[in-house]
Amino acid sequence: MKKLLVAFLAAALLAGLMVPAAFAAKKPVEVVIWDQDDPPAEAVMDKLYKEFMEKNPGIKITRVHYGTEDLRSNFQNAVIARKGPQLILAPYDNIGPFSTMGIIQPLDNLVPKSFLDGFNKSALDGNRFNGKLWGIPDRVGNHLTLVYNKKLISEAPKTMEELIAKARELTRDTNGDGKIDQYGLVYNLNEPFWFVVFQGGFGGWVMDAKNQPTLDTRATVDALQFVHDLKFKDKIVPEEADYQVADTLFKEGKAAMIINGPWSWKAYQDARIDIGLARIPKIDSTGKWPVPMTGMKSYSVSVNVKDKELKDATLKVLMFLTGEHAQAEYLKARAIGDLPSNKKVADSAEVKNDPVLKASVDQMMAGKPMPIAPEMRAIWDAIRPSLELVMGGRMSPEDAAREMQKVAVQKIKEMKQ
Amino acid sequence: MDDSVQRKGARRGVAGRFVARRSPGGLHRRRIRLAYLLILPSALVIALVLLYPLLFEFYLSTTNMSMQRIFNYQFVGIRNFATILADPQFYEVFFRTIIWTVVNVFFHVAIGLWLAILLHRKLPGRAIFRVLLLLPWAVPEYISALTWKGLFNFRYGAVNLFLGQVDNLLNSAYGLIGLARGWHLGPISWLSDPTWAFAAVMIANIWMGFPFMMAISLGGLQSIPHELYEAADIDGASGWRKFRNVTLPLLKPVLIPSVVLGTIWTFNKLNVIYLITLGGPGDKTHILVTTVYRAAFDYYRYGYAAAFSVVMFFILLLFTVNFVKHLRGTEAVY
Amino acid sequence: MRRSVYRRAQGDSPVKLFFIYAVLIVFTIIAVYPIVNVFSVSLRPNNRLYSTSLAIIPDDATLQAYKSVLFEKPFLLWLKNSLIVSLVTSVIGVGLASTAAYAFSRFRFRGHRAGMTLFLVAQMFPIPMFLLPLYILLGRYGLTDTLLGLAVPYVALTLPFSIWMLKGYYDTIPRELEESASIDGASPLSAFYRVILPLSLPALAITGLFSFMTGWSEYIVARVVLTQPDLFTLPLGLVNLQGQFSTEWGNYSAAAMLIMAPVMVLFLSMSRFLISGLTLGSVKG
Repeated sequence: MKKLLVAFLAAALLAGLMVPAAFAAKKPVEVVIWDQDDPPAEAVMDKLYKEFMEKNPGIKITRVHYGTEDLRSNFQNAVIARKGPQLILAPYDNIGPFSTMGIIQPLDNLVPKSFLDGFNKSALDGNRFNGKLWGIPDRVGNHLTLVYNKKLISEAPKTMEELIAKARELTRDTNGDGKIDQYGLVYNLNEPFWFVVFQGGFGGWVMDAKNQPTLDTRATVDALQFVHDLKFKDKIVPEEADYQVADTLFKEGKAAMIINGPWSWKAYQDARIDIGLARIPKIDSTGKWPVPMTGMKSYSVSVNVKDKELKDATLKVLMFLTGEHAQAEYLKARAIGDLPSNKKVADSAEVKNDPVLKASVDQMMAGKPMPIAPEMRAIWDAIRPSLELVMGGRMSPEDAAREMQKVAVQKIKEMKQ
Repeated sequence: MDDSVQRKGARRGVAGRFVARRSPGGLHRRRIRLAYLLILPSALVIALVLLYPLLFEFYLSTTNMSMQRIFNYQFVGIRNFATILADPQFYEVFFRTIIWTVVNVFFHVAIGLWLAILLHRKLPGRAIFRVLLLLPWAVPEYISALTWKGLFNFRYGAVNLFLGQVDNLLNSAYGLIGLARGWHLGPISWLSDPTWAFAAVMIANIWMGFPFMMAISLGGLQSIPHELYEAADIDGASGWRKFRNVTLPLLKPVLIPSVVLGTIWTFNKLNVIYLITLGGPGDKTHILVTTVYRAAFDYYRYGYAAAFSVVMFFILLLFTVNFVKHLRGTEAVY
Repeated sequence: MRRSVYRRAQGDSPVKLFFIYAVLIVFTIIAVYPIVNVFSVSLRPNNRLYSTSLAIIPDDATLQAYKSVLFEKPFLLWLKNSLIVSLVTSVIGVGLASTAAYAFSRFRFRGHRAGMTLFLVAQMFPIPMFLLPLYILLGRYGLTDTLLGLAVPYVALTLPFSIWMLKGYYDTIPRELEESASIDGASPLSAFYRVILPLSLPALAITGLFSFMTGWSEYIVARVVLTQPDLFTLPLGLVNLQGQFSTEWGNYSAAAMLIMAPVMVLFLSMSRFLISGLTLGSVKG
């Protein structure tokens, strides 16, 4: 028993000794950035930081990675508690809620106009909300595109009917066990971000100019019927597919086509899939192109950055990381798949000579910027449950569209209480 | 603290004082002081860490802190509570939370206890079983949840593949005895059917939780004197009778805290549902805690979410106080 | 002595033994299969979380992920932080709980039952809602971004269970044992550590394991308290491997396997205590 006590005390003592050593972390003055980027992009980022710090020995950049949801909630918590990072790099649709809450600050008077002039105007405008500029994008794109496996399908389909016909041929049982093991088309079936592409193709959109939901429309019903038929009538998509399943099937060469965004393309090439990119084909009945939402990632400055010296350092870092040089580095590494927001870099030969990027630019032309109004959150959450039920064959498209609208209106009302 | 609880505590004290009365007054006082001293550090840690957040949230629950009013929120009284209790959806989700909690806790305890009893005997290889069966506890929840999501996939998940194999076996078996089969096992749309999705998250959560209960039961079984079983053997008691009359009552002291706290933890468990179904399909697998999380962190309705949490807090408090009340008596087992 | 522990098992018939093994094997497969799955992902190149094949070792298996996690990521740093937090949590947690539980088990005083219930009350509020005020509070004490600032809430989170568990276990220990000690002139405290503590090894082992595991795998609180990468614990580091869309699933799973390894060692060494020969039965018999 004594031995046990001695051991216990020794452990306590040891822990006690370790505590002060480990707990005494000192904090130099530094610019902290929180991001939620993908690993290849972060590798380039870290390289850029090193370069910046060599040139500016007085400033230290620290990057902390979070998951997308974690970044959002942690940033709120931290800023409300008067702490947190100086900069965040996040999807630009956070700007709506963040600026409404007042936890980021407007940049109009902080960043010189000459610098802003270098940016693609519509990209920069996307970061304006209620007349003020809240973020500076380091990339544009993020739009879904049709990706096909050239081994299975030599040329991209021109119309949606053609796509379905080809996909039907390619959806088959290759090893004779009585089960389908190759699909014509895969994508994240239940995710609203994918669904709205088709909603656009049938002539709809998620909200009107006053940020009110426009979900109970003919276009929504048709689009729901369309995605429902892909699974139940045409049978060209798997019975259940979330992002990971779709991604795996395509990476394993078991899907001829996938609808996915720029972040994924490099990984497909790494997995030795010979990919081609094309616009998601026109919907025959409407003659319209499906409309992927385009987006960007933007740097925003925390409202807690007030001290002059800190503010100057923060802006210097911000301008370096969104500037021409940094964007050229991203492009060179093909680390993000997105397109530069800087006009000069976007016009460079590097973009023009790359078939993947060229196709990406082409698809982006058919896209439409994702709304950044806070109401969008309610709309996403209103679409998801009904879409899930339609894809489970448990709700009719008409009911689903009505339900989506009702829920969205309700959630927006709650949000504004 | 609700003062009926305190009164009950005091009444309990009267019965307890009997023990103390045997000793002279001074000694008694010193013993009492010692008891408070022994509890003080734990009480301090809890008070320091949890008291302020608790009061803060109670205060927030009476305000309208939200996206538009992060720094300039106002007092709104019981408005949040009225909104919550008037919403029929609250009761639907509450009902589901009860099912979620009861099913999970029941299987955690039943499986954990069963395995512990099986392992509490001389068996070659039991050390290996013991460690392997504890393994799910060692996996970070995050990973387990994502893994189970994969296992439940309609086409590629191991669960449906396994059901398919069993179905084939049954087919051959029926064929052998020359019977036609009118039914089939699987495949099940685990994640696109609301009922199955709810079953799926519960299965995943049961998997994550039973090893802990097994560990506790194994420890608890050590405290049962073997003479009691021997006496039961002499009486010719069956295995079930021994379990009912010896094992279960004597395990009570360690099982009760596990059941009470297991209930509280399960009731408030966010991760599993959030990572596997995100409350879907059709928002049909939300429980109270996922609803509150969504209100606070997706919709920035801090005041409302705080009020929601306060309601949940009182539900659990009511449950616990009642449960503990029913436990009186058990202390006298020994 | 040892034999008495097993006496009950001698009556098991072969049929019963077969049944017992069947149940154990089935549950072991269920317990282990998902973990084997994680192991399988850790061997796959190209970040495939799922696979359409059921093979455990993929054709293109590689240990690259393990190499990458161990040598290219600050895994050892995360490991060190996690060890510190978990050890501090379990040592302080069990230390505080073992004495408090003794008071609740052996003394009767005003507010006894209310006190027990109050400890439970601390667990009833949904933790995610505590994050904001907890963060503000820790900030006031200067404890954000310190490992101590994480260990203290962990202790608070584990205490209720530990106290209830130990109290329940102490209750099963016959008072005569202490009384005979106090006839020898021992104070209540020395009776506590000479009689009660050694007899409670299984319960101490469980609460210790529980506290350690809380520190080892907790994520939600850690995420808010620690915002400096060099203080990250293993779960934070693990999630750190996830991108917005593309996660390095191979690395992620390899890290998960590496996180499990120390815990398995702990289980192996602790399971000795869970079934230690120092049982009450043996003392009495």
